[in-house]
Amino acid sequence: MTEPRRDWAAAFALVAAASLIGRLLDSEISQTSQAMIYLAAVVLASYKLDRLPAIACALASVTAFNFFFIPPRFTLAVEHHEHLIALAVMLGVALVVNQLAAGLRNESQAARLSERRARQLQRLSKDLIEAGSEAEVRELGLREFESAFAGPCLIALRDELDAAAPRDSTRDGLRCCVSEAAVLGPGTSRWPGLDAWFVPLGDKGHVFGAACVRPALAADVDAREHAQALCSLLAHALWRLKLSADMAAARSEVERHQAQRTLLAAVSHDLRTPLAAIVGAASSLQAQRDRLAEPEQRRLLASIENEAAYLSIVTENTLQLVRLAGGSLQLRRDWESMEEIIGSVLARVRQRDPTRRIKSRVPRELPLVKVDPVLIAQLLTNLLDNALKYSEGAVDLTVQADAGELCATVKDRGAGVDGEDAQRLFEPFVRGERSSGERGAGLGLAVCRAIAIAHGGRLTVRRRSGGGSSFCLALPVEAEQPEQAKA
Amino acid sequence: MKALVVEDDREIRTLMQSSLSVEGFEVQTAVSVSEASALLQHDPPDLVILDLGLPDGDGAQLVSEIRRRSAVPIVIVSARHQEALKIAVLDAGADDYLTKPFSVGELLARIRVALRHRGTALAPALIRHTLADLHVDLELRHVERDGVALHLTPTEFNLLARLVRSAGRVVTHRQLLTDVWGPEFTEHTHYLRLYMGQLRAKIEADPAEPRHLLTETGVGYRLAVE
Repeated sequence: MTEPRRDWAAAFALVAAASLIGRLLDSEISQTSQAMIYLAAVVLASYKLDRLPAIACALASVTAFNFFFIPPRFTLAVEHHEHLIALAVMLGVALVVNQLAAGLRNESQAARLSERRARQLQRLSKDLIEAGSEAEVRELGLREFESAFAGPCLIALRDELDAAAPRDSTRDGLRCCVSEAAVLGPGTSRWPGLDAWFVPLGDKGHVFGAACVRPALAADVDAREHAQALCSLLAHALWRLKLSADMAAARSEVERHQAQRTLLAAVSHDLRTPLAAIVGAASSLQAQRDRLAEPEQRRLLASIENEAAYLSIVTENTLQLVRLAGGSLQLRRDWESMEEIIGSVLARVRQRDPTRRIKSRVPRELPLVKVDPVLIAQLLTNLLDNALKYSEGAVDLTVQADAGELCATVKDRGAGVDGEDAQRLFEPFVRGERSSGERGAGLGLAVCRAIAIAHGGRLTVRRRSGGGSSFCLALPVEAEQPEQAKA
Repeated sequence: MKALVVEDDREIRTLMQSSLSVEGFEVQTAVSVSEASALLQHDPPDLVILDLGLPDGDGAQLVSEIRRRSAVPIVIVSARHQEALKIAVLDAGADDYLTKPFSVGELLARIRVALRHRGTALAPALIRHTLADLHVDLELRHVERDGVALHLTPTEFNLLARLVRSAGRVVTHRQLLTDVWGPEFTEHTHYLRLYMGQLRAKIEADPAEPRHLLTETGVGYRLAVE
């Protein structure tokens, strides 16, 4: 049975019940009590039922009371004026109670709606704190809109609207809303004829997008304001995301500048020292050549050559580090053989290792790696030069391939490094505590690590049992090796 | 013998000029590509030293132009991080390269090798190569090490032969791939890695520290002549 019919049926059922009860207790109670029974029925009907059935119930009660109990019985005639008053009052009461009850019902419905909306705002607010991206914010917003409003709702962010998209009325509305930074639709002073509200996310100066809300009724101010409150929360979240992105960018910019400044200071020192030695030796040769003994002349010339070579290394390392740190170095990666890279490295390093302290062990048939060979060669050369300089005795160079990685290790029997020192070694211009008066191009290991990282690998150092250090370069090996050629 | 030094930096130019004169060359200098072109037209030298960082051009085009007309040995001088350009110029026909800073000894050594290969128009093609324990005869298709004949597959032999024909000079990846496999294979550097690895395994006492088959990282390979 549908609601209205049920209401009507209930109305008459109540009247019938009241009549029945009155009839049953006819001999025991007075007319006044019978009137009260009917009144009870009317109040019940007014509270529970809609207005029309309730009024019908009141009228029917009055009629029934008149018919069944007011003398002369079983007629609609009325004996005394008193009875007319009673009847009028009953009708009045019915109407008033009905009105009050309806009012109460509406208020309680409105209060429940308000509470639901307030809870929704609270929930959205909490969820938005966790949101990490614009897309997430949009998803959360859409979810809440769909539960709060019946019609199809849409949220669009600014960049989506800017991009070329199919032109339809909804998109046009959203674009207009963004550019006006105001609410459009029924009940507002802008475009009241639309079928939906268009609410901006944000306000003048910073509009992140807009929402389209349906259904939109001009009179439903509360619904429109709720939509605006939701949009306000979304706008705040988007604003927060934008600010934190800006802050992160600014912070890394500052860090980069700071790093460059530190580098500059350290580098200028490392450049000036060999230059001073060169200028000194050259000017000495200029001024005193005739009086200098042959061996002394040779020594000065050798010094110039060595210092200049060192200067060259420092310059290259510095440039390299700046390029790598700034991300502007383009890696020229190709399939390379570690055996070849090591071959060319050893060819150069042996010039500084006349007694052949370096012992290499490179297995056959190593997998090819996708690297920039010049950079890897530089890295290994650096490690070997360090080992030769800071240690005595044998230096081991070994290569191993396992578990998706290729590792090249340089081991020496020098002073070794301790836990914390080990990490600081890779920072520019730090040398180990116990390194002797030997000079190092302080950038060397920093460049090496930057090269390793740029290839998706790592460079680590550990102490060897028995003394000395072990530097390990690990490079990723792609599972798919390139196709083999025919013999 | 006449040498043309194309270098815009005055100190380096003067240094090269004096080192070459001491070795008996008659040296002309140019500071730009256009000046070099003009000198090459009127007074062709027997050797060209070309810097890659010239103000009015990168030298690659100059090399192609020279190669259209003559086989004069060309040695290029480049700074680090100019790899791509260096390889392009080698592929265009330059004979060898030097990286700054270089020593005079290195410069003269490269010049010697370049001259040996292209010095005169009638220079015989290199078909035999011997160094230390290695002996290669391209005509007889015979390779031996320490007196023991080595068996090479056809591709391995072709690869070695190409290096022998340019013995002492660098041969770029592209040149090797084109000459041994064909022009469609210029991107297949992994072929080179595999086959050079196989050659080293057969020819070298220690493949990881080769005596003969030298790797020029990022550029190509070179067969040692000393």
